[in-house]
Amino acid sequence: MSEYVVLMEHITKTFPGVKALDDVQLHLKTGEVMALLGENGAGKSTLMKILSGVYTRDSGKMEIFGQDIVGDLNTKQAQDLGVAIIHQELNMCQHLTVANNMFLGRELIKNGRLDTKEMNRQAQEQLAKLGIMDLDPNATVGDLPVGRQQMVEIAKALLINAKVLIMDEPSSSLSNAEITEMFRIVHELKAMGTAIVYISHRLQELHNIVDSVTIMRDGKYITEGKFKDFTMEEIIANMVGREITNQFPRDQVARGKKILEIKNLNAGRMVRDVSFDLYEGEVLGFSGLVGAGRTETMRAIFGADVKESGEIILDGKKLTIRKPDDAIRQGIVLAPEDRKKEGLCTKLSIRDNIALPNLDLICNSTGKINKKIEDEMIEKGKNSLTIKMPGPDSQAGSLSGGNQQKVVVAKWLARESRVVIFDEPTRGIDVAAKVEIYQIINTLKKRGIGVIIVSSEMPEVMGISDRVIVMCNGKVTGEVDPRTVSEEEIMTYATQFGENAS
Amino acid sequence: MEKKNSFHKFMSIPGMASVLTAFVGVVILMIIFTFMNPNFISQRNLVPLSRSICPYLLVGIGQGIVCITGNIDLSIGSVLGMSAMISATLICNGVNPILALVITIIACLAVGVVNGVLVGKFKLPPFIGTLGTMTICRGLAEIVNGNYNTGDIGTSGMATAIRDIFYYGKVGFIYYGVIVSLIIWFVFNYIMNYTRTGRHIYAIGSNVDAARLSGVDVFKTTTVAYLISAFCSCIAGFITMAAAGMGSMQAGLSYEMYGVAAAVIGGISTLGGSGLLVGTIAGASVWAILQNGLTLANVPVAIRNIVIGVIVVACVLLDIMRRNGVKLGKKK
Ligand SMILES: Nc1ncnc2c1ncn2[C@@H]1O[C@H](COP(=O)(O)OP(=O)(O)OP(=O)(O)O)[C@@H](O)[C@H]1O
Ligand SMILES: [Mg+2]
Repeated sequence: MSEYVVLMEHITKTFPGVKALDDVQLHLKTGEVMALLGENGAGKSTLMKILSGVYTRDSGKMEIFGQDIVGDLNTKQAQDLGVAIIHQELNMCQHLTVANNMFLGRELIKNGRLDTKEMNRQAQEQLAKLGIMDLDPNATVGDLPVGRQQMVEIAKALLINAKVLIMDEPSSSLSNAEITEMFRIVHELKAMGTAIVYISHRLQELHNIVDSVTIMRDGKYITEGKFKDFTMEEIIANMVGREITNQFPRDQVARGKKILEIKNLNAGRMVRDVSFDLYEGEVLGFSGLVGAGRTETMRAIFGADVKESGEIILDGKKLTIRKPDDAIRQGIVLAPEDRKKEGLCTKLSIRDNIALPNLDLICNSTGKINKKIEDEMIEKGKNSLTIKMPGPDSQAGSLSGGNQQKVVVAKWLARESRVVIFDEPTRGIDVAAKVEIYQIINTLKKRGIGVIIVSSEMPEVMGISDRVIVMCNGKVTGEVDPRTVSEEEIMTYATQFGENAS
Repeated sequence: MEKKNSFHKFMSIPGMASVLTAFVGVVILMIIFTFMNPNFISQRNLVPLSRSICPYLLVGIGQGIVCITGNIDLSIGSVLGMSAMISATLICNGVNPILALVITIIACLAVGVVNGVLVGKFKLPPFIGTLGTMTICRGLAEIVNGNYNTGDIGTSGMATAIRDIFYYGKVGFIYYGVIVSLIIWFVFNYIMNYTRTGRHIYAIGSNVDAARLSGVDVFKTTTVAYLISAFCSCIAGFITMAAAGMGSMQAGLSYEMYGVAAAVIGGISTLGGSGLLVGTIAGASVWAILQNGLTLANVPVAIRNIVIGVIVVACVLLDIMRRNGVKLGKKK
């Protein structure tokens, strides 16, 4: 038997209009954690879907535990061989319980009926193995925070005795505490002898868990090796094909007049008495723990949630915003955080998605769509963000995760606004694309547009904003200068639960 | 303390609150109608009323299960009509009544398979696929007896037995037809809650991709749901046929919508993945009680329809508002 638990060579895969994989290889050893890296659309997810039987390869050799896989592999067979995958987009039946999800497709039966007791017991046992004691197997999955749902996915994978576990961007929607918890579990799995393929765009976190790396670019294999033999710059250069010198470019612009003023905004439990100002030529960052109320604040300003009280003053004029349409028309736009749920109509084309909030600009007075203006708008969006796609008429849902996110951003850049709010704009986006988005933020800033960015990635808020507001439990707890503040100081504000907020 | 805890646990079963709301609705309606006409609560009214709930309950079960998979079955009413027409025609033409029922069941189940193949395999939108079978089946119902309603199914021993089992016979205050419907209701409740098939039906309605990736056979599960729906419509057809003693080409018109009403009032979401089948009995009762109570209160037919429509929409609206309210309160 070879030393590899998984060996893939000369793998190719073509989708209509895209060659997703072109002669790719991958070598995974027992008990190692491998980072699979590459830009958005490089083909990472596709390669892993082939390994787990979701897609079939066009050609190439594949060995799992020394067993040559001849012909197609389906999900069931892959599972039987011990390969489990946690997909990039969480795949859970939200209405079912934890135990039901874990046993989905392989329910235990006793005397012709579901053996719920036994399934609950085994689910609990499996979770306990991961050190999770306080999760009720009877809880409904949809009620759990994302981090918890992920733990359930991992436990589910273990249930089929996975020897190879693929984790496709598991950290992108987790809070810092949840990520730490997940790393602990990864170490635990490794100790049990499980080999893990770990995909992530958060390069800073890799050193915690990773033994080796495989790097891809544009559907091609680039290089592989021990993680400690690479510097971060080399990894990035291999991913992107060129050097990126400054991961967080921040242009200095003189601060101008006040654009936006929020006074005593209240909306539900997560927005209590929030006030802040936004000036021309600045990027205002919002930091805090997941669930601090930042997203809720932005949604309330944008009119997506109901406001109880508070004033929104734009350029000295008091605005009435009851619904998102009011905000958009008066010059405030929001690129929301959950692309699958709120950002995109995945079944519509990229063109339709970008045009959707801008139809007022595209249509003439009779409501007829002006194709020419639309095409120009799509072209502009595509070029400013280098969205990798077969064409503007392909389905938004068929793009790689990161490119979907770019479409979400692109649709709001197509119109002239006074204030642009980005909620987690770089979630699941590769380094190069992140820099592109930062550059766009800089451009907006220079044009005198107010930019607000909500982000849970500390280096990002610190690196790109000119001023940072910290929230905790629905209240503003601090305001800091990112050039001088320490992460610890921000954390103190971010965890200021009990005391009176300033 | 102990008691309070188990009540809490009971209420925390997903969907249970909606089911209870529906049952409370039934009680409130009964109280209102009793005030409007005290005869409503009399044994003379309630016993036949229990019988008239049955067809609504059956189509509610079928439609409810299909709704839980995230689909819809528009062919229910036509299958009901087909069932009544085929069985009556066969019996009138001298076929052994038992055999006639068996043949009818097979014919109805075949429609379920066709629905399953169209929606589950060829991925037709369920609204379109079952709209097709709905039209075809209504045509079949009309054609089996050459575009005429059938004659009386006669009074032979077995024909009488069929009338009794599905409609006229009773022990004490309980009609056999009610017992038959309750058994079916009970069995499918069991299947939905305690078997793998039931679990898979919920799973594909909740997140079809996740279910497929977990190894659930989506085609098979969809087909099973449509088969159940066709079976329930078929039995409802027998009840209608037994009641009239003949097959009517009009049998079952609009019953697919009564099924939606019974399911939705009973707390099943048309979006799939959630709801409990127990509620269908409350949903069906609300429907039947409204018809009966408004008739007793001498409300003209046209007004009756308007009132029923308004009340049904209001019921569902209330349930949605209650659910959203709960959610808002819970949101962190
Ligand atoms: N089902 C599909 N149909 C058509 N094209 C697809 C499909 N899945 C992936 N692709 C294309 O294949 C290419 C590789 O996509 P893949 O999802 O593997 O990228 P990735 O490396 O995982 O990127 P990301 O980091 O953004 O998740 C992309 O160009 C994508 O548009
Ligand atoms: Mg991917």
